[in-house]
Amino acid sequence: MKRTFPLILVFIFGIIGIITFIIPHPIVQNLDESIRNDILKILVAFALVLGLGSLLKVHMDKIKRKRENWKYSWILIISFLVSSIIGLFGGVEGAGPLRTSIGSFHFDIQTLYENIFMPLGATMFALLAFYMASASYRAFRARSYEATLLLITAFIIMIGIIPLGEKISPHLPSFAQWIMTVPNVAGQRGILLGVALGIIATSLKIILGIERSWLGGGE
Amino acid sequence: MKFIERLTTIDRRIIYIILVIVVVIPLISRSPERVRVMLPVEKLYNAVDTIPKDKVLIIDFEYAPQDMPELEPMGFALLRHAFEKRIKVLALCLFVQPLGLAQKALTQVTEEFNSVAQSNADSIIYGRDYVFLGWQPPPLIPIIGMGTSITNVYPSDYYGNKTDTLPLMKHIKNYNDVALLVSLCAGSIPRSWIAYAQNRFGVAVAAGVTAVSAADFYQYYQTGQFTGLMTGMKGAAEYEELVETRLGIKKSRKASEALPSLTYGHLVMIAFIIIGNVGYFMQRRRRK
Repeated sequence: MKRTFPLILVFIFGIIGIITFIIPHPIVQNLDESIRNDILKILVAFALVLGLGSLLKVHMDKIKRKRENWKYSWILIISFLVSSIIGLFGGVEGAGPLRTSIGSFHFDIQTLYENIFMPLGATMFALLAFYMASASYRAFRARSYEATLLLITAFIIMIGIIPLGEKISPHLPSFAQWIMTVPNVAGQRGILLGVALGIIATSLKIILGIERSWLGGGE
Repeated sequence: MKFIERLTTIDRRIIYIILVIVVVIPLISRSPERVRVMLPVEKLYNAVDTIPKDKVLIIDFEYAPQDMPELEPMGFALLRHAFEKRIKVLALCLFVQPLGLAQKALTQVTEEFNSVAQSNADSIIYGRDYVFLGWQPPPLIPIIGMGTSITNVYPSDYYGNKTDTLPLMKHIKNYNDVALLVSLCAGSIPRSWIAYAQNRFGVAVAAGVTAVSAADFYQYYQTGQFTGLMTGMKGAAEYEELVETRLGIKKSRKASEALPSLTYGHLVMIAFIIIGNVGYFMQRRRRK
């Protein structure tokens, strides 16, 4: 029963998910709307609580056992609690019941977002430019015919999407655009069709209970 | 021998320093670069420009701080275009990270217009001219749900107001009232809009994506599934160019100002790749 019940649920909801795209009858559409707007929202709320609970548990455990870099877990837990309290009770831009300003100093969720989350996120990604420059210098070699083709195409695209490309030749940006809309599309479409067929096959296998690895354990 | 070896073993710190210099200096000088507008961006501009008064434009803000330099200028340019033409806007996010950035873009562009407004009719007013629906997880719920009823999916907006009490939402029921949906995203969400909102409900979809993910989306533009497409910082600069030249809005053009940095950054990377390859071939010839 422990394995049969989830399989029955997946079969029923999988079939409902498919037929709503095929049968426009109000009974089917209302059922679909009710599943999405009521059941799915509740499930997501549970998943959110489970996810956050699991995150806290992992880091509490790390602190308790003093695992490697355990001190950083304190930063996560404190940041999590502070932003949760301010977000839940402070409202957007300090409109909630919790006071989120002392004089001209504001610490509402939008201020925290703009002054902490944004610079940190942007900094992390900015580092990528340096790694990319260094890695492409070291690894991007015209070792074979295919690699040379890739290198030339990359140069055309890189110059074609900057204003300098237009100054070199007005045809260069158009050529870069052509590479993106013709050869690139041909390759991407082939990949996409393959992926779509794979998704259909895997979905059917899961719905019909042929593929059961998602249940966990081995059978 | 030493020279050839040096060509392939340049210290990474030298590459980093050169990259910092060529990226930062043009950003300090802040001189916007003019660009030629390509067809995918022009098509998007025209689609926004011709939205009828009784329909809305949905802007799906899906960019986080790491995608901000490329996608935020697109959001600003789109909002300026829509507000200037008095096109009604519904803003939303399918993930939690972009909420603050969407809020920032809406507040800032609204303030730009309201600071020069002469009357209530000239002003951009929340609830009348635009609504920020906020975040509703998981993404599939709003994408499909809005086909039946937007207020059912979003009973309250980002600020906690009941959506059915907002003046704009009294006329906007579902996708039938939406002229265009533009998804500004670094991930795969524009595909979901096509798969679930366009295929099922026929809503017109366009996208603004990062340059690195652009290759994944041209196929949808080519088939006409995307009404228009903005890619990367250049795409954003092209839209800014259109907003300035056709509507006469002269505001800060972040993408156009950052284009010189992008140009020099690309040139430095190309130069280092060439240097690395020259060294590699010289070493190979010597070994033979």
